[in-house]
Amino acid sequence: MNNYLKLVNFELGRFIKIYFILAGITIASQLIATVLVANNYMKLFNEEIYTNGMTTEQFVETHGEFSLLHVQYSQLFDFPIIFAAATLIIYSFFIWYRDWLGKNTFIYRLLMLPTARINIYLAKASAIFLMVLGLVALQVILLNVESNILKWMVPANLRVDLGIMEFIGNAVGGFSVGLIIPTSFIEFLIHYGVGFMVVFILFTAILFERSYRFKGIAYGIGYAIIAFVVFFAPFVVEMILGKSYLYPIELFILEVLLWVVVTGVSIWVSNYLLNKKVTV
Amino acid sequence: MIEVKNVTKKFGRKKVLQGVSFTANKGEITCLIGVNGVGKTTILNGIVNLTPMSSGEILIDGEKLTKETYEKVAFIPDAITMLPHMRIEEAMQFMQDFYNSWNNERAEELLQFFKLKKEDRISSLSKGNVAKANLLLGLALDVDYLLMDEPFSGIDIFSREQIADVFTSHLVEDRGVIITTHEINDIEHIIDKVVLLDDGIVFKEFETEEMREVEGKSVVDVMREVYRG
Repeated sequence: MNNYLKLVNFELGRFIKIYFILAGITIASQLIATVLVANNYMKLFNEEIYTNGMTTEQFVETHGEFSLLHVQYSQLFDFPIIFAAATLIIYSFFIWYRDWLGKNTFIYRLLMLPTARINIYLAKASAIFLMVLGLVALQVILLNVESNILKWMVPANLRVDLGIMEFIGNAVGGFSVGLIIPTSFIEFLIHYGVGFMVVFILFTAILFERSYRFKGIAYGIGYAIIAFVVFFAPFVVEMILGKSYLYPIELFILEVLLWVVVTGVSIWVSNYLLNKKVTV
Repeated sequence: MIEVKNVTKKFGRKKVLQGVSFTANKGEITCLIGVNGVGKTTILNGIVNLTPMSSGEILIDGEKLTKETYEKVAFIPDAITMLPHMRIEEAMQFMQDFYNSWNNERAEELLQFFKLKKEDRISSLSKGNVAKANLLLGLALDVDYLLMDEPFSGIDIFSREQIADVFTSHLVEDRGVIITTHEINDIEHIIDKVVLLDDGIVFKEFETEEMREVEGKSVVDVMREVYRG
């Protein structure tokens, strides 16, 4: 356990600079988006009122009240979310391959640590999970900050103050924010449970490649396909039969069980590969 | 004792090791000699389970390798196994964090011995100093066995001398050492045992002193006989 935590700390440390840059880009880009969109709205308001002689009521009727929902349409708002997600997906590969690449082959050291090798796998996965959840937490904080910026820039009679959950529930333009912050806890578990399972499957596929090289690519892809088919089997069966035989709660329980099976098998297979097959 | 028993290794269709057997005792320096590609590094990788062997058995003090074995056997590969951006002191800290067998006093002594600066980054070191830092990280572990892969390859003569001096010092004595090298001249006088490899098998295994006394031959003489026919 102790060595596992040390490894998690070490893995986080290796990516922390890039991670802070990602967080910085997200903060800067979204705050700029908020200010720009609010500013444009107020510019439009001033133009309609002072140039075109509209009343405030007429303006609100024509252009709608301002809320955080307006900001989500800005590309500057969505871009950092997609960018951060893409970076972490790419890093999920690189977190392994960086240890094999280059002159200073760190994988020798990792594999020779006096600790169970599965700790290396679990530490790398945990580092990815913590970084993902960290960015989600940052997004929640940012939404609060952005909401306050709006209060400061747009007068109360022109805006609707949405809570974060209301915002996410209504967000349509920026699909990414609704995906990363689900509205219910169950949905949160589903999104991140599936996401983390995918990371485990990916890591196992990478270890297949690292163990068997060229043949390993085929094994890895094969393993990933089988894992997905097993996990989504109830949906596939429903699609084929065109009928659903399970109540939603039964389907949910079945999926939780399948999640445990797929994740458990991925960890077990990875443990085997790390101990018996992987090569430097 | 490290026992390598009838070990084979295939890379694809190529059989690199075809039934290699030898032993290396504690308190002795055993040298694996062979031309490039003969499988010397593969054997060392196999002993510490960095590459799985196709068949055969490797025992360390009569037991198969477990995670605890890494507190007893240290492998020093031919390239340093630390992140390039790390300072030497950070690499030392990393070792101390994970290994109970890390001996910080000895590490400090080795720093002085090799004239290395703790605050230097690994990426900024010369080739010779990288090799020394690599040795430091392995030698500062209080282990019973040391495996060294080509510790002299590609470094200047003075660094080679300094590294060779390590073998005759208390930093190595009483431990079992398996070393692979091309630069046999640097260490011929300190080797206890030689394992000559050719075509994936052990061609000859002998004690150097016995060879000198009984047949009057040096290691290089025997190598000449074997490799030049």
